[in-house]
Amino acid sequence: MPKAIIDGREIEFEEGETILEAALRNGINIPHLCFNKRLGVKGRCRQCIVEADGRIVASCTTRLREGMHIITDNEKIREYRKINLDLLKSRINTSQILEDEEILEYLEEEGLFEEKLLSLPIDNSSPAIVRNPNICILCGRCVAMCNEQTVGAINYAYRSINTVIIPAFMDEINNTVCSTCGQCTLVCPTGAIREKEDIDRVMEALNDKDKHVIIQTAPSIRASLGELFGLPPGTLVTGKMVTALRLLGFDMVFDTDLGADLTTFEEAHELWHRINNNGVLPMTTSCCPAWIKFMEHFYPDLAPHVSTCKSPHEMFGAIAKSYYARLRGIDPSRIVVVSAMPCTAKKFEAQRQELINDGYRNVDYVLTTREIARMIKKKGIDFNSLEESEFDKPLGISSGAGAIYGATGGVTESVLRTLVWIAGEELGKIEYREVRGMEGVREAEIRIKDKNIKICIVHGLGNARKIMEKVRNKQAEYHFIEVMACPGGCIGGGGQPKSNDINILRKRAMALYTQDKKLKIRKAHENPIVRRIYDEFLEKPLSEKAHKYLHTSYIDRAPKI
Amino acid sequence: MQIERHTGFNGLRKALSMNPDELIELIRNSGLTGRGGAHFPTWKKLSLARSSQGEKIVVCDAEESEPGTFKDRFILEKNPLIVVEGIAIASHIIEARQAIIYLRGEYSFLEEGIRKAIEEYNKLFGDINIHLIISGGGYICGEETAILNSLEGKRPNPRNKPPFPVEKGYMDKPTLVNNVETLAMLPLIILGDYDPDLRLFSISGNVEKPGVYEARLGITLGELIARAKPIGNPRAVLLGASGGVLRYDPNLVLTMDNIERLGGMLGMNTLIIINDEQDLLQVFKHIAEFFVHESCGLCTPCREGNPRIVDIMEKIIDGTATSRDISLLERLAKYIADTSMCGLGKASTKWLLTALKYFPEVFSNAKSNN
Repeated sequence: MPKAIIDGREIEFEEGETILEAALRNGINIPHLCFNKRLGVKGRCRQCIVEADGRIVASCTTRLREGMHIITDNEKIREYRKINLDLLKSRINTSQILEDEEILEYLEEEGLFEEKLLSLPIDNSSPAIVRNPNICILCGRCVAMCNEQTVGAINYAYRSINTVIIPAFMDEINNTVCSTCGQCTLVCPTGAIREKEDIDRVMEALNDKDKHVIIQTAPSIRASLGELFGLPPGTLVTGKMVTALRLLGFDMVFDTDLGADLTTFEEAHELWHRINNNGVLPMTTSCCPAWIKFMEHFYPDLAPHVSTCKSPHEMFGAIAKSYYARLRGIDPSRIVVVSAMPCTAKKFEAQRQELINDGYRNVDYVLTTREIARMIKKKGIDFNSLEESEFDKPLGISSGAGAIYGATGGVTESVLRTLVWIAGEELGKIEYREVRGMEGVREAEIRIKDKNIKICIVHGLGNARKIMEKVRNKQAEYHFIEVMACPGGCIGGGGQPKSNDINILRKRAMALYTQDKKLKIRKAHENPIVRRIYDEFLEKPLSEKAHKYLHTSYIDRAPKI
Repeated sequence: MQIERHTGFNGLRKALSMNPDELIELIRNSGLTGRGGAHFPTWKKLSLARSSQGEKIVVCDAEESEPGTFKDRFILEKNPLIVVEGIAIASHIIEARQAIIYLRGEYSFLEEGIRKAIEEYNKLFGDINIHLIISGGGYICGEETAILNSLEGKRPNPRNKPPFPVEKGYMDKPTLVNNVETLAMLPLIILGDYDPDLRLFSISGNVEKPGVYEARLGITLGELIARAKPIGNPRAVLLGASGGVLRYDPNLVLTMDNIERLGGMLGMNTLIIINDEQDLLQVFKHIAEFFVHESCGLCTPCREGNPRIVDIMEKIIDGTATSRDISLLERLAKYIADTSMCGLGKASTKWLLTALKYFPEVFSNAKSNN
């Protein structure tokens, strides 16, 4: 392997490796603001400059060469880095940085330049994300991410000192094709793109003694919430999370895993029905609201391919304000359903007009994993020393099938476990390892009775687009397509702790599969609460009542010419 | 002038009968370097592009927007045929079938002449498709990778290098980007008519006869400027906006090395003469404003640094600048020059670094006004 010298240390490097990559790999820290390897973002902030054979270069774009001498810190470099940061600091309004963002560790010292703070309008138009250009350092990670998702809702506009990142024609983000996936919020180093916070509205409900406030927690957040309290990625914190939510004042702490079991049950029946009745195939999943909005913008003609099942938390909300309300004798108008989700798109979804039953919104508010952690911290709760406790009954019982919804392939596996049962194979297989993994597009063929069920699993909207193009061109010979907008599925959701490191995503997924393995009930149709809800309320899958409470419809958002 | 010579595609005819490697060797021996300002050895670029794999593209950079520079306009006006011939030769060498002339928007009046030259080529040869694209405009569009983005319909921001255009350029295809004048030299080299020291100087400012002058490197500034008839007493010479500013010295020998030793750059042979009746401080402020206006906004130093330079220049003019401001001016100038992403950003404070060196009185007088 070729060698170079960084700060006097001889370092081996791979052909084509940049100075920054090799340095970081060897534990030599070079300050950097814009660099993101996965997105290919580099060269813009100019904070990572070093001296290479006596010449100042950006370490993120300069490839190492045999025998190169690199100095990562000297008086000149410190001078340039200071000017660089001070210029940024004199422009961005640090008082509007609301959280412990990546940028803050760089902005401590007193600046050289007179403050000329940006004072641009904040874009609050979206129910999911907020754009605050006043703290944007124009690194462009969000633009690269949005392009990777093949959405392209934002880009650079104007030039020089007037450069901003904004939707085309300076429009509001809510008027664009933004899928609200929130992947941009995961990579923004300053919080200039951030989830729309709903904490205050939830607090208001909690303080209203007349309200019965229910919180339901998505499958994936128990595998990621711990990271925000310093626990290693992949730590399951279910019990502590439930305790913390009770301490926050929620009247009931329920589990969206039950909603996922309902979704599996309905969706498996819908799929089986389509397969046996010449229905529209392939059928795609519908539990990811960013995928749904993306489909409504770019593939509204393919809406008949999309399952009409509501997403798990919306099914849960519909049941909470009908079946549960009746069971407990609570007027649905007094019930507030809050969803704790890994997701910004669920915020958008919650206010869809299609997701209202009997005059009540299925879900009132959505909080992301990050907001949940913020609330717990604000309340002064020492999360790590909390006792563990269990979900409330009856809507807190769920199966392993619901648990794995949080990882790409999880919905498929859950549906398969129930599909074989519907097909009459009483002792159906439990684990379908062939549908697990992190590949962006995966295919599998499962034999059920006399049928070969062809499956495709995609995550990331760019991959969804590839498959939907095939569907549109009638080249997709599948029965079932699972789509998740976010890389990795919900474990990599836009509302999760900020990271798009694939290894962290793997650990979160592993935690969910471990949880599934430990559970006695691992199939949605074996969940006694699911059975009870059908017996006492919904009658049977795909019934009129099931349609009313558990299914939805889509709209065409394509531009009209 | 040499550049007005009608080569009648004889350079191309001869080139087509020769092996590309021989041609590269010929160009190497001529010593030709990029006349767009960066002076990268032309043979090397050709050779790198030639050894790249896949479909290749030649781009003729006619986005001449350096203040005070109009030699490419002159060439395209007087002899578009020699440029087209040069493009065809370069395409032959690197084995490209597609070529693009990227013409500055403000030069659209040259379009007809260029189209005629392309037609002429098509009648006689036509094995290469030469397209004419009018630039969206902007100083940055002259940067070789920003051109590629612009041609692809993207914002004209520079790209990170590597990869270099010769590896991954227009639509990720290996692309040779060369300036108009560089390409126009190729037929002359092949025909054995190339004079390596002959240059086209764009002379403007306080002179009676601004224009393009042909002269050999080594000429003194006084001798050359005399041809353009200076008005009043020349005090300073601006080497474009990006080449720096020098004290006017009639005995200054114009060679690239000489100018570089003084901290300037004779990249495009631009000379703007400023006489002693002009307010240099205002001239400098205008240059600073030019770079603020033209920064593409992609990297921090150029985007955020140049406006601060304008601020300080304004303070100097108002008489409110302090010695701290002057030192900050120099710190900013070095920071921008050393850390900007593209060549244009790096050169955007050369004027300031040289001005501080050669015209300290302009800055210190302002201070004593306090």
